[in-house]
Amino acid sequence: MIEHDFDEEFVPIAAELQRLPYLSPSRDFADRVIAGIDRLQPAEVAPIAVARHLELHRGGQQAVVQRRPIGILRATGRATAGVALIAAAAFMFFEVDLLTAILSAAVTQYAFAIATVGTQIGALVLGSQTIAYLQAGAIQAVILYVVLAVGLISGYGAIRTAAQIARRRAA
Amino acid sequence: MPARAYTDVSDQQVVVFAQEGREDAYRELIKRYERPVFSLIYRMVRDKETAEDLAQETFIKVLNNIDRYRPEFKFSSWLFKIANNITIDHLRRRQVDTISIEGSPTAITAESVRATAVTVTSGGESPLEELESRELGAEIEKAIARLRPEYRACIILRHVEDYSYDEIAEIVKLPLGTVKTYIHRARQELRQYLGDLR
Repeated sequence: MIEHDFDEEFVPIAAELQRLPYLSPSRDFADRVIAGIDRLQPAEVAPIAVARHLELHRGGQQAVVQRRPIGILRATGRATAGVALIAAAAFMFFEVDLLTAILSAAVTQYAFAIATVGTQIGALVLGSQTIAYLQAGAIQAVILYVVLAVGLISGYGAIRTAAQIARRRAA
Repeated sequence: MPARAYTDVSDQQVVVFAQEGREDAYRELIKRYERPVFSLIYRMVRDKETAEDLAQETFIKVLNNIDRYRPEFKFSSWLFKIANNITIDHLRRRQVDTISIEGSPTAITAESVRATAVTVTSGGESPLEELESRELGAEIEKAIARLRPEYRACIILRHVEDYSYDEIAEIVKLPLGTVKTYIHRARQELRQYLGDLR
């Protein structure tokens, strides 16, 4: 109720104004408004989806307990099952030896560790001097290969340069 | 949440649900305010079809921009502000300023008059009281219709919707002093028009 801020003559008119009835629009007014709202999807079934939430209202605030990400778990499970099925089919149709596959994977994964262990075993069996000799030989071989590669590239470059000079002189 | 669960929910909370895209929340907001908004607009334009179109435009504009609603203001104030803007724009375009509670001023035949007449919700009174009330109400309606549109909006918001002067100034986007002047003049004019009623 508003406070009186008018003279006594207006009191009966103010009373009549407050008694003025509300007027109603057509019955399908709400439907027409809803049809004009862009963000509402016609096929939306909000009450069913929302019913899974636990919603608490207190003092104008809303607390919503989050659901578990069921969609992500389902997708992960389906992907795992799919990969397992494909792997099983591959082993069955292409006769891949499962043990070989596992060993190959392990060798690839642990190559560094295997090399270290192998070197240690070699040092124990063959002696550290032998191993050092072999390693030195391996280093020499690498240097030799590098020198060969540099020589090949330099020779190819020299031949191309000579050919260009010859072309210029001929011209 | 089913629609009936909104009974004790505040406007701000219903707006939050609407912002989540829930159709039942939109319908609840329409249900709460379709009659006050339609009544305000009708009393300004005096034509049922036009009032329905403008009320529809108001709700569509408000609900499509529900994310922009600022909860520090009353939802109803925001809604009435949009309704007033749309109606004043319409009146400025059309210069509609005619009177007829029984039907559209443009209606010629009896059928078109009936079709454009508004539905007045009964307050549960006896037939005699209802008749007297309707007669008095009709006089008031005619007197309101004779006011300038700016006065109409202010006097309705003040005496029908019970808004404070500050809220009315916010709704109609006018200085507080202007609103007070409009309401004072509107009261004087109503007193003058309704002299016989007293």
